[in-house]
Amino acid sequence: MNRVAITGIGIVSALGRGSDATVDALRAGRSGVRRITSFDTADLNCQIAGEVPAFELEGPPRAHDRFTRFALMASAEAAGQGDFRAIGIAPERVGVLIGTGLGGCETLDASYRRIYRENATRVAPTAIASAMYNAATSAVATTFGARGVSYAVVSACASSAHAIGLAAQTIRAGSADAMFAGGADAPLTYGIIRGWEGMRVLAVDNENPERACRPFSADRRGLVLAEGAAVLLLENFENARRRGHPILGEIAGFGSTSDAGHITDPSADGAARAISMAIADARVGPDAVGYINAHGTATIANDATETKAIKAVFGAYAVPVSSTKSMHGHAMGASGAIEIAGSLLALNDGFLPPTINLERPDPACNLHHIANEAAERQVDLFLSNSFGFGGMNAVVAVRTAVAANLLPNEG
Amino acid sequence: MTRSEIAQTLITLVRKEKDIAENLLTPDTVLADAGIDSLDSLTILFAIEEHFKISISDTRARAIRTFGDMIDAVAELVPAAQ
Repeated sequence: MNRVAITGIGIVSALGRGSDATVDALRAGRSGVRRITSFDTADLNCQIAGEVPAFELEGPPRAHDRFTRFALMASAEAAGQGDFRAIGIAPERVGVLIGTGLGGCETLDASYRRIYRENATRVAPTAIASAMYNAATSAVATTFGARGVSYAVVSACASSAHAIGLAAQTIRAGSADAMFAGGADAPLTYGIIRGWEGMRVLAVDNENPERACRPFSADRRGLVLAEGAAVLLLENFENARRRGHPILGEIAGFGSTSDAGHITDPSADGAARAISMAIADARVGPDAVGYINAHGTATIANDATETKAIKAVFGAYAVPVSSTKSMHGHAMGASGAIEIAGSLLALNDGFLPPTINLERPDPACNLHHIANEAAERQVDLFLSNSFGFGGMNAVVAVRTAVAANLLPNEG
Repeated sequence: MTRSEIAQTLITLVRKEKDIAENLLTPDTVLADAGIDSLDSLTILFAIEEHFKISISDTRARAIRTFGDMIDAVAELVPAAQ
């Protein structure tokens, strides 16, 4: 079975564009949640989000939907870092899996607005192709000439964690030698926010946006919607080693389960089984896990249920946990990839990123929190949890750079 | 609107969607040869319909091969639209 190296990381979120901006914000515990500026929110109850700053949007052509532009930005960064042009792998052996929860929301929102509000009788001929869920995958494949295994992965908020796990399995199985894997979502439209308002799970604090998202806190009020993308360049470990390219980490394990339960109410059992599966797949024990980037949405239901799941797997071992959604918000299908990429960047830099806004943890969430401030720590292996509506769970185990490079190949 | 006024407007609309030298857009120019693919032409037709507030039928649109055909299609509809 082939090992899977991470040789490129690309990320764009409310924390900024690129790895450097991301690490700076995660280390400082700085929130990127702010008032929405990309459209008029005057008559919305919720006027805040983890919006990608407007000045970061230069680059990919406007002809693409916003979620595809994010995917292209992140892929370009990953490809640049991984020196993809010199990778020496046939295009037919390179694939793309970009997960998305909601696809081309900007395009759909604008088109429906024309039809239903402005009574227009036609919409842009590119609307269908821009809005489709695989538009981002297709744009990335075209840009980098990837002609191998490629499709979009959809499992609500677990989409990009599934995409990264599946891409790793594709390389392990020998069906491809390199994969662009990650996720992108751009759900900050009038219609989508109205939909979330209807669910009554949004934290609305329009006056103090950076304080709104409070995972695991006793006074948490719900999630903050966000947008962005992260893409990893994954590569057959041996190929990366042979070409002498720096290995930034390794996808060590993947667990994926379904609750087969309630459509929006999460189950501790489904989450716990996914966590256990990822650990077993990495062929380690729970005590080898040095950090968990929690799903930690800051909804009442998720955080308490996720705590139960973690405790069920780790027992007495108080594994360090944080939710970086407290800073970048909940970027839907892009979340898993943003959190895997962000955690890897932070851990390779020698620190655990914090859960901010956590002054008073909820007793129902009594985990070993990395609260409010980053903690200096060397960690060999971490988990990233992602749990989507519909009971779709994906957990990815990632080995950090130093540990991945030290592990002998039979590992 | 005269035919040459229509042509001039169409040149502007086409060039908004596709970076093509103005002197390459003559009535005889075959759109595909100028690098305008099928999705480009749909986007251009959409822009034309919006600009002139006209509706070009699918059948009529399918018959457009050259830039001259495009001018004809608009010229047929514009006087009626005004």
